[in-house]
Amino acid sequence: MAEQPLKILDYDKLEIGEELGSYEYVLTQEMLDNFRASIDDPEACFPTLAVKHDATALNMVYNDTTGGVNAGNEVEFFNPPIPGKKIFVKGRIADKYLRRDKPYLVIEATATDEDGRLLERLKTYQMKKPDEVGKKWHPQA
Amino acid sequence: MASTSIEIGAQIPSVTKSVTTESILQFESCAILERENIHNNEELAKQRLGTTYTLASGRMSIAFASEAMRKFFGPDVFHHTGTVNLKFLRPVKNGDTITVTGSVSSQRQVEKGTEITVELHCENQNHDRTAAGIGTAIV
Repeated sequence: MAEQPLKILDYDKLEIGEELGSYEYVLTQEMLDNFRASIDDPEACFPTLAVKHDATALNMVYNDTTGGVNAGNEVEFFNPPIPGKKIFVKGRIADKYLRRDKPYLVIEATATDEDGRLLERLKTYQMKKPDEVGKKWHPQA
Repeated sequence: MASTSIEIGAQIPSVTKSVTTESILQFESCAILERENIHNNEELAKQRLGTTYTLASGRMSIAFASEAMRKFFGPDVFHHTGTVNLKFLRPVKNGDTITVTGSVSSQRQVEKGTEITVELHCENQNHDRTAAGIGTAIV
């Protein structure tokens, strides 16, 4: 996986459309079982949600010392992944913008399996001022 | 679920989930990068967020909403045409009980059939809204 040294994430230097890491992994039955148990849904079929393809792609390229808060997700399901199969993921920076003086980063990842089946496309809207969460929801901390 | 004629306003099955530290950590354990984050490290959550607790990943709410959508449309439909789009409105943490509800808000003809849109809401045990958005599927 991430063989090259990580770059420090500088929000201002990120470019919309920038390619993030491409990587592959084997989805195991254990991952599926853990995912199902964690959400108490024995029929859930997309453990890829918990693998966090888009955030993983970002973290394979950048060292994000600021972090972020997940402000929203968009997911499209195409085919359930099959345990034992290799999954290929490609990530990119889909957008970035300021809203109410807060910087947002939108990352996206598309997953296919070793048979070429399109599995899932996931987009995350990260708000890059995570301390705003504490100020709003936990002001006494 | 039923046929392609779905009434506007039809309710999807609600789903209620208990969120615990254990479930949050188990969800995080599915990651392929071993990494400390605001979901599995209380100290990091304190540093970055200013909270005294870790947060459940927003993707857990996506999974809860996906279950409600799957129960309405059926896995054959939802697993191949489904979408979920949620905006997270307040933190979800250990001890919370999250209930997903939804109702059909619109439908339109698309190339592959009829796209049904469902308005989705997630609320905690205090009836505070934790997330809102839409889900779709093509029947």
